[in-house]
Amino acid sequence: MPSDISDEALDFLLARAGLSLTAAQKAELKGVYAGVAAMAARVRQPRGHMAEPALTYGFAEEDLQ
Amino acid sequence: MTDPIPTIAEAARLIAAKRLSPVELTRACLDRVHALDNQLHAFIHLTEERALAEARAAERAIMADGPKGPLHGIPIGLKDIVDTKGIPTTCQSKILAGNIPEADAACAERLAAAGTVLIGKTTTHEFADGGPSFDLPAPPARNPWNPDHFTAGSSSGTGAGVAAGLILGGIGTDTGGSIRGPAALCGIAGIKPTYGLVSRAGVAPAAFSLDHIGPMAWTAEDCALMLQALAGHDPRDPASAKRPAPNYTASLGTGIKGLKIGVIHHFHETDYQVSPGTKRGIDDAVATFRDLGAEIREVQLSPLQDWMACGSLISIVERAAAYEEWSRTRLGDFGERVRSRLMLGALVSGVDYLQAVRRRRELRAELQAAMAGLDAVLTAAQPSEAPKIDTLPKWDVFELPSFTMPFNVAGYPAISVCSGYGAGGLPVAIQLVGKPFQEAMVLRIADAFEKATDFRNKRPALVGA
Repeated sequence: MPSDISDEALDFLLARAGLSLTAAQKAELKGVYAGVAAMAARVRQPRGHMAEPALTYGFAEEDLQ
Repeated sequence: MTDPIPTIAEAARLIAAKRLSPVELTRACLDRVHALDNQLHAFIHLTEERALAEARAAERAIMADGPKGPLHGIPIGLKDIVDTKGIPTTCQSKILAGNIPEADAACAERLAAAGTVLIGKTTTHEFADGGPSFDLPAPPARNPWNPDHFTAGSSSGTGAGVAAGLILGGIGTDTGGSIRGPAALCGIAGIKPTYGLVSRAGVAPAAFSLDHIGPMAWTAEDCALMLQALAGHDPRDPASAKRPAPNYTASLGTGIKGLKIGVIHHFHETDYQVSPGTKRGIDDAVATFRDLGAEIREVQLSPLQDWMACGSLISIVERAAAYEEWSRTRLGDFGERVRSRLMLGALVSGVDYLQAVRRRRELRAELQAAMAGLDAVLTAAQPSEAPKIDTLPKWDVFELPSFTMPFNVAGYPAISVCSGYGAGGLPVAIQLVGKPFQEAMVLRIADAFEKATDFRNKRPALVGA
C-alpha cells in the first residue's frame, strides 16, 4: 500500500463507499492516508496459508439437534 | 452534600441493616447532580422522577422482605448508547434525536432486575467514538478532578458521574478502551470483561468484534457486585458466551500471596514513554504487589503499535459497516470527529481488513503463550494524567498510544484501577489483565491493591466529601 494517494484514486474509493465529501474533507483525508497505510503495513507479516481467521463456523451442540 | 459517598458494597450493607434508606441515598446522589452537573455534564438525560419512584419501591420491598441482592436500591447511570424503554436514547447524536426505544437493552434489564435505581443516561462520545466533541447536541463530560480536563471516553459521563458521586456505579462500553480510559482518568475502577461475557443486545454497536459492555464504579469490589448481575448468556447477542457466571466476590479479600503477575514494561517504557506520574504509579503498584506476596515476572509481547494497528483497522471497517447507511445518507448530521472516522472506512480495503483479522489471531496466540503460568499481567491504562479537554488531537487514532486496545484485540478481561495521583493532582491508573473468563482473578488482584493503598479514600475536591 503506497503511503500517499492521488486525487483520482481517493475519488474512486469515496465513490465506491458512497460518501460525498467536500474538498476540505477530501484534503484532510488525504493528509491522514499515510497513517492508514502504515497500519495496513504493520498487520502484514510473513505467514503461511494455514494462518486463516477460521471464524466462519463454530459448530455447537445446537447444530446437532 | 458533605456526607461521605458510600461505595456500593458499603451502601448495600447499610441498606440490608436498614440503616440507610434507598430514598435518602438516591436524594443524596440527585443533590450532587443538581449541585455539580452544570460543571460536569455527566448526564444527557436525567430520570429523576423515575429514580425516586424506584427508590421508594425498593425501600418498601426491603422493609418488607429485605434486599434481593447488593444492588437493590443502588443509584446507577447507563451510558446513552444503552437502550432504555420509554427513555430517550440518543447516542449523543443528532441522528437519533427524539429516539425512544421500545425495550431495554439486556444490561439495563439485568440491572433493573437486580433492583438498581436509574438516575439517568450518561454522556457518551457520539456513538461511542471520537471525542471530546463540542458540536453535538450536548456538551462533553468534564473531569471532576479538574473540569478543564478530559475524562477520556467514550464512557465519559459514567466515569465523571461515579467519581463525583452522582451515581455509585454505571454501565460503560469498551471497543478500544472506553471503559478503562475514563475509569483511569477519573480515578475509579472499570472492567472490560471477556468478549461475550456480558450481552450487547440493545446497545448501539461501535465495532462488532471489539465491543464489550462492563461496569464502572468506585472500587473493584463494586465492579464485582455489578458484574455478577450483568454476566451470563443471552441468545439475543450473537457473540454471547455460553458459560455460567462464577461468583465474582467469593475470592475478594483472600490475598494474592503466591500469585504470578507479569509486567509488560516495554509497552510503557520503550514502545511509548508514559508520563512520570503514570510510570511512578505503575512502579509503586509493582512494589505493592511484591509486598503482598505476588511473584513478579517480565512479559514480552509484540510492540504496542502492532496491537493498535490491528485493532484500529478492524475498528475502522466494522464501524463503517455498522453505520454505512447513515454515512451515505446523513454524513453531515454526524459530529465532525465521528464523521471523520467514518470517512476513514473508505481507505481500508477488504484485504487490509482480513490481514488485520489474521494478525489478530497471531497476537491473541502470543498473549495466550505469554500468560501461560501467570495469573494476570499489568500494564499502563493511559499514557498520562488527563490532558486539558481542548488539547486532544482530532486524529488521535494516529497520534496517541492506546494501552487498552490490545485486550480488545485479544478479547481478554482487563480492569483499570487508580494507582495514585500525578501532575496537577489528577489520577493515574494501572491496568490488570486476566485470562479469558478469569474476571474473578482480575477483580481479586485489583481489590487487594485498592485495599493495600489509600487511593480510595480521596474524592475530587469539588465533591466536598
